[in-house]
This record gives sequence, structure tokens and C-alpha cells, in this order.
Amino acid sequence: MSSPEVPDAQLIARALVGDDRHAFAELVRRHQSSVRACLRKLTAGNHALADDLSQETFVLAWRNLKSFRHEARFSTWLYRIATNCWLADARKRKEELLGDRDDAVADEDAADASSSDTAHGDHARGAALKLDLERAMAVLSEGERAAIVQCYHNDLTHEEAAYVLDCPVGTVKTHVLRGKQKLKLALAAWAPDTN
Amino acid sequence: MSTAPTSPDIDSAPARDWLDGLLESDARDDRSAYIADAGFTARVMQAIPAPLTLPAWRKPAVVALWGVALAGISLALPAAALDVAREAYRLLGAHPVSLSGMVGALLFAGALSWSAAAYALRTSE
Repeated sequence: MSSPEVPDAQLIARALVGDDRHAFAELVRRHQSSVRACLRKLTAGNHALADDLSQETFVLAWRNLKSFRHEARFSTWLYRIATNCWLADARKRKEELLGDRDDAVADEDAADASSSDTAHGDHARGAALKLDLERAMAVLSEGERAAIVQCYHNDLTHEEAAYVLDCPVGTVKTHVLRGKQKLKLALAAWAPDTN
Repeated sequence: MSTAPTSPDIDSAPARDWLDGLLESDARDDRSAYIADAGFTARVMQAIPAPLTLPAWRKPAVVALWGVALAGISLALPAAALDVAREAYRLLGAHPVSLSGMVGALLFAGALSWSAAAYALRTSE
């Protein structure tokens, strides 16, 4: 992350006016972590797919940089492209990847079980909770998952999430509400009163 | 989540519950874990399309095409071409201009056509 003092807007202007690829590379370097993390969450932990979609996101951002009107932060605009990439891919695949992910999670569970003697209690509990949350997220509909990820993981306001998801604010709130209801059911074992 | 106003449905739910805490804590963990670039930026930069460069032969080809077009018009309409040439000669002969004036007019016309061409190229991208 070199020269963080140069604002995004200036790098965008340099990339636009002078076709400055170094400026765009700096933007990619700055935002790759958050975009990849967002897509890892949306793909329910499929890192390879998330990285492919992240690459597609930045290529699309380069192609459409002229259409960025500074009406939102650059990172929010990137989340919007990333979410659209993920939605398009998810619709194309019809979530076939979920089965693979479950197998992977099962393998990890087995590994966890085999090493449970040496694992610290809190750490193991946290890891198990993380895996359960990942699984539960995978059960949500695309809209619900996207809304939860934007509002919680990316810490966006409902208005910003509505911009990212290209839908009314009320729809975002509904998706969040329904998503949370499903998550509560799926993670009921982790609720404080049941522990 | 950093927004206050909520819909009636959300208002009817508890303001903050264990799931909010869980999701926020998970998000905090993810945000604090920076994902190393590990060649990602380089892969993206390789994937973006190469810059558009105009071929070297384009300019002489355009000049040659204009020459061919003017010659074609002159051959197809010899009378009209002759009239235009005669009128131009008469205009210049009747109102003789200085060399500096002609150079200025040529420079102005050149700048005008270059600006128009640049504008056209920019808008056609």
C-alpha cells in the first residue's frame, strides 16, 4: 500500500484522463483486500471463486471507470460491481458450489475433531461458530445474504446497501430482517439462552 | 450496522440481539485480517485490456483518401471544380492578403480542424 496520501479521486482522475495504469494498479492494491473479503463472504467461503470474481470486478471497474460519478465512495461502487458479479455467477451456477463447500467444511470438522485434544476451548468454539455462521449464510437467499454482508460485514448504511444492491431501502431492510430470522433458526444452538 | 432509522418490521424486533453481536464480531475479525495481495494486482493488470493505440499508417492513409476524394470530385464534376477554382482565385486576387495573414488563417483553420477531430475521437470512445 504505497503512497496512501494520494486520494482515490486523484488516482481515478489520473487513470481516466491519462490512461494511467499505475494509478489504477494503486487503486486495486488499496481495495483488493476489502473486495476479496466481501466476495469470500458472499461465496460462503469459496476463496478461489471469490478471487476470480474479484478479478472480474476490477476489470469491470477499469472498463466502466468513466461511469463512476462520485455519488458514492469508490469502495462502495466496487462493492456494487462485486455484488453484481457474484449475483450473475450465482444465478449461472444455481449455487452448485454449496455441495462442494459442505464437503470442505465436513473435512475441516473432521480435522477439528481429530485435533480437539490439543485445541484450546475458546479458540475451537470460535472456529466452530465461524463455520456454522458460514454454513448458515449459505442457506440464505441471494438477496438476504447480500444485504446481510453489505450491512454487517461491509458496515454500510441501509442507504449505501440499497445503492450497492440497486434496490429500494425498504427491500434492504426486509432482506436483512428475513435473513436474520433464518440465521437465528440455523444458529439456535449458539443463542445465549440455549447454551 | 451504522444506520438508525428502520422499517416498522425491524422496529418490532429487538433493537440489538445476540445475532447482531455475533455478525458484528465476525465482521470485525474479517476486517482486521488484511488479505495479502500475493500477485492479485498483477493478475488484474494483466487482465485489463491493452491501451488503444492508433496504427502508424492511419494518418497518411487519411491524407491520401482525402486527395483521392478531391481528385475524384474534380474529375466527376470538372465544370464545378473549375468554377470553384476560378472563384477562389478571383477572391484572392480581388482581396490580396499578406503572407502573414495567410499563415494566420491557415494556422487558425488547422487548429480548428484538429480540435474538431480530437473532440470527435473523444466522444466516439
